[in-house]
Amino acid sequence: MLKLIQSNRELTALLAIVALFGLLGAMDSQSFSFQTLGMIFGSAQILMLLAMGATLVMLTRNIDVSVGSITGLCAVSLGVLLNGGVGLPLACLATLGVGILAGLFNGVLVAWLRIPAIVATLGTLGLYRGLMLLLTGGKWIEGLPAGLKSLSAPVALGISPLGGLVILLLLAMFWLLSRTAFGRSFYAVGDNLQGARQLGVPVNRIRILAFAINGAMAALAGIVFASQIGFVPNQTGSGLEMKAIAACVLGGISLLGGTGSILGAVLGAYFLTQIDSVLVLLRLPAWWNDFIAGLVLLAVLVFDGRLRQALDRNLRRQKYARFQPKKTPESARPTSSEARTTRRMNANKSGVL
Amino acid sequence: MNVGLINGVKRYGWELALFGLLVMEILLFGIANPRMLDANTLLFSTSDFITIGIVALPLTMVIVSGGIDISFGSTIGLCAIALGVLCQAGVPLPLAIGLTLALGAGCGLLNAALILYTGVNPLVITLGTLYLFGGSALLLSGLAGATGFEGIGDFPTAFTDFANRVVLGLPVPLLIFLCAVLFFWLLMHRTRTGRNVFLIGQNARVARYGALPVSRTLFALYGMVGLASAVAAILMTSYFGSARSDLGAALLMPAITAVVLGGANIYGGAGSVLGTALATLLIGYLQQGLQMVGISSQVSNALSGALLILVVIGRSASLNRGLIRSVFQRYRARWSASSPSLSSK
Repeated sequence: MLKLIQSNRELTALLAIVALFGLLGAMDSQSFSFQTLGMIFGSAQILMLLAMGATLVMLTRNIDVSVGSITGLCAVSLGVLLNGGVGLPLACLATLGVGILAGLFNGVLVAWLRIPAIVATLGTLGLYRGLMLLLTGGKWIEGLPAGLKSLSAPVALGISPLGGLVILLLLAMFWLLSRTAFGRSFYAVGDNLQGARQLGVPVNRIRILAFAINGAMAALAGIVFASQIGFVPNQTGSGLEMKAIAACVLGGISLLGGTGSILGAVLGAYFLTQIDSVLVLLRLPAWWNDFIAGLVLLAVLVFDGRLRQALDRNLRRQKYARFQPKKTPESARPTSSEARTTRRMNANKSGVL
Repeated sequence: MNVGLINGVKRYGWELALFGLLVMEILLFGIANPRMLDANTLLFSTSDFITIGIVALPLTMVIVSGGIDISFGSTIGLCAIALGVLCQAGVPLPLAIGLTLALGAGCGLLNAALILYTGVNPLVITLGTLYLFGGSALLLSGLAGATGFEGIGDFPTAFTDFANRVVLGLPVPLLIFLCAVLFFWLLMHRTRTGRNVFLIGQNARVARYGALPVSRTLFALYGMVGLASAVAAILMTSYFGSARSDLGAALLMPAITAVVLGGANIYGGAGSVLGTALATLLIGYLQQGLQMVGISSQVSNALSGALLILVVIGRSASLNRGLIRSVFQRYRARWSASSPSLSSK
């Protein structure tokens, strides 16, 4: 069971989702239905898109804390373009372009100018937020055309056109990341940069590409936001960057790069949104929200960390078993303090301290 | 003497550059608006931003040790709300302040305990506690019946006057900041504990093999971040006159920016307390100065982001000088190799 979870880390997020639905069903049986599932999917789309983008960046052992600002910038540029009389398809394309450019800039800062990712994106977090506010002059954008809002109206099975796009993107990226050499190179870069370079992976190009796709995803999230809400407030997207990272971590994507699947990230995003909706359905006040999210996140992290340590210890014991002298029970048992030290060493093998 | 001077310039090069930038910035704003050069304005406008520095100082030590703490923003909110709730419940003020400080330290210690227990990346753990502490703050303020925007008010005037009082010609928050700079400078650069922090940041495993008290040091570091957050929470509550759960959220990014701008390596092993202190003043006066010149806070947001990027690019370029030269030479060689072949075709 533990082995299964360890090798399929997205199962933790899935288990959490099922458990939460189970709780909802037990407390209040009529509110749980297929409709609830779809409703939560509707409100989870923004976070899902961001989590998909963040997955790529985190797989290459980077982090992007500027996605919230990119989302806001893109939502605002979409609004400004639409209210300026540009047609919907063209405006959407231009918005995507803005997102990709913003992501490319992040990628260039990290890959070519060698700035640590968290520092570079911290800078662009402020920069893009400032650009966004410059574009609007600090005002909200209202009166978006009805064509935009119809993009997130349900069409079939309670799924909107944009929702369908999210599912398609998820499937495409899942296939890309798990089945193609191009997709695997994201894992290679994050797992071992030097090794990837020697395998002939264009390391810098992959890293820049990860940031650019992340920017495109943030742009899509901005479009979804504008079409769902119908107006663009000033604080659009702020705080989403941390939520996206939390969703990825919940879904088993390691900040140390090279492990995790995109499915896990999306399930993590779904779970984080589900907490909000379930609280509403259970008629609990909204202030429980972050508290529960934090508790679950920490529980998953502690469980995961302990599990990984145990597996590492096992592996190490197997590896060094043949060097151990044939033991008498007395001498083979290390003193407790010695065992303690080795365990600590193992714990910090990934150099995370 | 001369050699000593040169050594000093080399050793404190980044701090001197920051100091130069700070002076230049104040003079530039002074040209645009002479009110900026007034000593009183310079002193008393610090109260608006100096809490950034108070949390950034211990955060520098955490980052130098190879960790990071992003939960302090929520810790500040939690401590502020706790202080408000305690005061509302009629707990005497000194006791309430003591309990708040203990709560802050407890939050920091919890971070350290989780990081050491699980061996998971500190960024991830503190992301979890960011939500946990932030959620607890919301929960507490919700249970106490305070709305998000007003927060908990009606503190005794003795308390709300505290942050506006002047001692020795300095406003109290600035005075606390200066004491903290002195304390952390001594701790970081003049004690064995400080050396240990650098060593842990360079290589935690070697530090462990070298029998350095790694766990104890980390507990102390994260505990100090929590304690500093509690101090910042008390100062901000006193300054604004109300306790809100989102008091600290706006401090998160500026404080990390101050640490990075101050010359700390985000991967650990290098950093300076003085640099962080100067960077705090640089960021704070940039915001204040832009406000005084009449530029909206939106543009100043973008400008401080751009400043961070430019400064870091400059630093990165000076650190990777050899690499840049080799890339440049490679491109030149390729260009000169390809151009004859083009012309021969």
